[in-house]
Amino acid sequence: MMVPVRCFTCGNVVGEHWEEFKARTREDDENPKAVLDELGVERACCRRMLVSHKDLVDIVAPYQ
Amino acid sequence: MSEQYEVEFIERGDREATFLVRGVTPAFANGVRRAMLADVPTLSIDEVRVVENSSVMFDEQIGLRLGLVPLTTPRDEFSEGETVTLALDVEGPGTAYSGDLVSSDDLVSPAEENVPIIDLKEGQRLEIEADAVMDTGKEHAKHQGGVAVGYRHLQRIEVVGDNEAFEQDDPRIVRGVIEAEGELVPAESFGNDLTNRYEGKEVEVHDVPNAFVFDVETDGSMSVDDLVLAAVDSIGDRADELAAAVQL
Repeated sequence: MMVPVRCFTCGNVVGEHWEEFKARTREDDENPKAVLDELGVERACCRRMLVSHKDLVDIVAPYQ
Repeated sequence: MSEQYEVEFIERGDREATFLVRGVTPAFANGVRRAMLADVPTLSIDEVRVVENSSVMFDEQIGLRLGLVPLTTPRDEFSEGETVTLALDVEGPGTAYSGDLVSSDDLVSPAEENVPIIDLKEGQRLEIEADAVMDTGKEHAKHQGGVAVGYRHLQRIEVVGDNEAFEQDDPRIVRGVIEAEGELVPAESFGNDLTNRYEGKEVEVHDVPNAFVFDVETDGSMSVDDLVLAAVDSIGDRADELAAAVQL
C-alpha cells in the first residue's frame, strides 16, 4: 500500500527516499542503481525495499 | 576495564561512523554492540489516540507507521518511561508526512521530515494525538537507536613472498579495514580484493587479537557519539548494579 517506513531487515529508515526515487526512476527514466547510490541507500536489503515497492493507495481508494 | 584500550576513527559522521577499538576482549566488543541495539532508550510513538481517520488504512496500520518514525532524543533529558505528546492533523487531498507531526516539546521532533505516512484523497482526513514513550530496543525494535551495528576483527596483511611467474591470481576478498605496513586501510579503497593491492605477491591474512572495527549507523534519533557513549554507560551502570547487589 504505502511505502514501508523502515527496511524490514536492518531497520534503516527508507520511506523518506521513496518519492524522489519514484519520480526519478519512473518519470525521468534514470538508472535505479545510480539513483539509489545517490540517495545513500547502500545495503541490498534497503535497496530492495524501494525497488520492489508498488503504491496501491490509488487502487484501493475507491473501495473505502 | 583496567587495561589499556584505544579508539581510532576511520570514518566519522553524525549518523554513520567506523572506528577501531584496540585492547578489548571479544566479549566486551559484543557487549557494546548489544548494548547499542537493546539498552539505549529512544523516544518512539507508542500510543495513538485517533480523533478522525477516514484514510484507506486502518488505525493500527497508521499507528505502526507512526511508531517507526525516528524521533530526535536528546541525551540525558528524558528517563525511561517518560512520554512526550505529538499531534498530527492533515486533510486531503495530499499526503501526511512525518514532518507534519507537531511536538509539544521543542527538543523532540521527527528525525526525518519526508517519510510518507498516508496518502489522503479528497475529503479524507487524519487527525491523531500520539504519546511517544522513552523505551529500549529490548521492548520493541522501534526503540533501537542503532541500525546495522556490527564489528569485525582488524586484519593484518603480511607479504610473505612472490607468486610464481604466470600464475593466475585468484581474488582474495577481504572486508572492513586492514592493517598493512602499519597503516589502516579501508578494504573498499582497493575494491575489497587483495590481489589489486598486492599484485603478484603472496600474502597472509591474520586477525589482530583484541582489535575490533565497529560499523555504527543510527536511525537519526541521536548521533553516533551519543549512541556509543550511552551504550558504554549502560554497561557500566549494570556492572555497578551487580556489584551492589552481590554482597559477600
